[in-house]
Amino acid sequence: MDQNTRNDLLQLFRGKLNSAMTYYLETCTRCGICTEACHVYASTGQVKHISVYRHEIVRRIHKKYFKARGKIWPSVGEAKELNETALEELYESAYSCTGCRRCMVYCPFGIDTQMIMSIAKLLLIGAHSEPEILTMLADTSIEKGKSLDLFKESFMEGIKKLEKDVVKKWKMEAGETAIPMDVEGADLLFVALAGAHSIIPTAAVFNAAGEHWTLSFFEAVNFGAFVGDPTRTQLILDRILNEAKRLKVKEVCICECGTAFRVMKQLAADQPFKVSSITEVHARYIKSGRIKLDPSKFNGPVTYHDPCQIARNAGVFDEPRYILEHLTNDFREMSPEPKYNWCCGGGGGLVALGEETLDFRMKSARVKADQIKATGATTVVTACENCHTQLNSLNEHYNLGTTVKFLSSMVADALIQ
Amino acid sequence: MDALYNFVLIYMVYFSVAVFLVGTTLRLVKIFRTPKQATSLQIYPEKRAKWLGAIYDTFLFPSARKHKPVLWVFLILFHACLLLLIIGHLELFEEFKIFQLIPHEVFLGNGFLGLIFCITLLYFLFRRLLSPVRELSVPEDYYILILLFLIAIFGSQMDWARSWYGYEEMVVGDYRTYLLSLLTLKPEVPYNVLIAGHSFMLVVHVFFANLFLIFFPFSQSMHSFLSLPMNKLRRG
Repeated sequence: MDQNTRNDLLQLFRGKLNSAMTYYLETCTRCGICTEACHVYASTGQVKHISVYRHEIVRRIHKKYFKARGKIWPSVGEAKELNETALEELYESAYSCTGCRRCMVYCPFGIDTQMIMSIAKLLLIGAHSEPEILTMLADTSIEKGKSLDLFKESFMEGIKKLEKDVVKKWKMEAGETAIPMDVEGADLLFVALAGAHSIIPTAAVFNAAGEHWTLSFFEAVNFGAFVGDPTRTQLILDRILNEAKRLKVKEVCICECGTAFRVMKQLAADQPFKVSSITEVHARYIKSGRIKLDPSKFNGPVTYHDPCQIARNAGVFDEPRYILEHLTNDFREMSPEPKYNWCCGGGGGLVALGEETLDFRMKSARVKADQIKATGATTVVTACENCHTQLNSLNEHYNLGTTVKFLSSMVADALIQ
Repeated sequence: MDALYNFVLIYMVYFSVAVFLVGTTLRLVKIFRTPKQATSLQIYPEKRAKWLGAIYDTFLFPSARKHKPVLWVFLILFHACLLLLIIGHLELFEEFKIFQLIPHEVFLGNGFLGLIFCITLLYFLFRRLLSPVRELSVPEDYYILILLFLIAIFGSQMDWARSWYGYEEMVVGDYRTYLLSLLTLKPEVPYNVLIAGHSFMLVVHVFFANLFLIFFPFSQSMHSFLSLPMNKLRRG
């Protein structure tokens, strides 16, 4: 690595050193309390997957270039040069961490591994060593935001074709639009994923609840966050923020996508609208009697997988359980408790990387499979697209014999007309 | 020999205390002046008493108690002893009424504080020699623990000599003379300290303490100051 590249990368590193990051880099005593926190270590037993081991890969570069003793006495902290080998270590560390933040619950100081890994991801972007597919997907999303007029008509035509499937789930009065779009003054803007499965059931539930809603032109998923690029993350988010402001909605509701929800909740805190997850909105409809559900639609024991970005990292614990109370009489909680729920192993962009990460994802999430198996459930419910994909793969790989379902689909299937 | 004693007990003390105070202050000012994190780093489920929760997390280490109970016992003992030893050293300057609310002899603990402190340090040290903590450790982790152990063992031996074996040399009055002379910038090492048979223990104790103070602002020992704001970030 030449000196100019290194300087550029160190400039990126410096840009990440806010107060929280400095606490995290300065404080760790390597006590090892976080040892059992990471699902990858718990499943594989490889020390390189212990949270603090991941931190140290970044921390050693920090010591080398940002601390005096990295120059005076580098060996005492094993300060390390930023070079090609370091980049390889950073890649392995960053893209084997799903950003579930389970280790943060264990750490006596509350060190956020996901945040430290954001330095690793940014350095990889700077060195053009990040997974290209994630950057390409992020750029496609950004491009879509820039040229809405070009695809608006074809998108609306495509959505029109889905309306008959929505009506199959919830019959509507003549003249009513099953999937409203571009509605100024709507109460709620729903941001779905690219795919009919994300739109049809939710549209049926909105219509059943008599919601004054409109569908966003943009997909919720934020590939910028997966690849750890703050600029791209913001640009992707801005498309939705601008649309919400243009339509003057009171609430932005994010579909079953953990990262999209957390990013929106965090970065849109001061906007003139409320941010909710679809799970929170469905629970609200049930509580206020706007929708009624038929629990006899589903048989057999049911368990719920808390998506890390929605539960531990955004606080939506009670709502899915409240909804499930109305969908099943045999709900089985995973052990030990929701706060300590194992990550499915698919977060942090790993599922988006597809086949490339499949083997690692299966090996690294053995503890998740065991956790599901221990419940004896025949249906695993979740509220995140990534988790759903990963749980399906785990189901197949470990012969769990379960059916993996989206919570929102179950709500739509159980609607009482 | 006197020159060596004077160097360690006077000049090096001034230097290390200056590095400790200035270094720690500058580092904290620098850290606290860096831009704040714009987004929440909170972990859920949310608890209402956020500051109280952060104080609880900082001083009682509930996560350690839950996940590594044996380590937690040693952590609590270590930190409790450290606090009491600091109070004990403050009482070597002069008696504080507030510390005498529970009447006790100076130096605190009748020798047992140092003993427990040394045992906890040995536990931390040997724990680091076992996998997987061994693979997670870097030289500074051992350096700090060994340094603290050396400070504690030599300091404790002086205490044990007085408390358990009735030595009457190097008593509290001698330390008070020495420490107050440092504080009033009229440094003097009392004659009793220089001629005592085990005076080298004081010199070694102070020497290692000096090394620790010099290293403190640049080490993970800064968690003494940063643990509370970090735990507050987690509590939201």
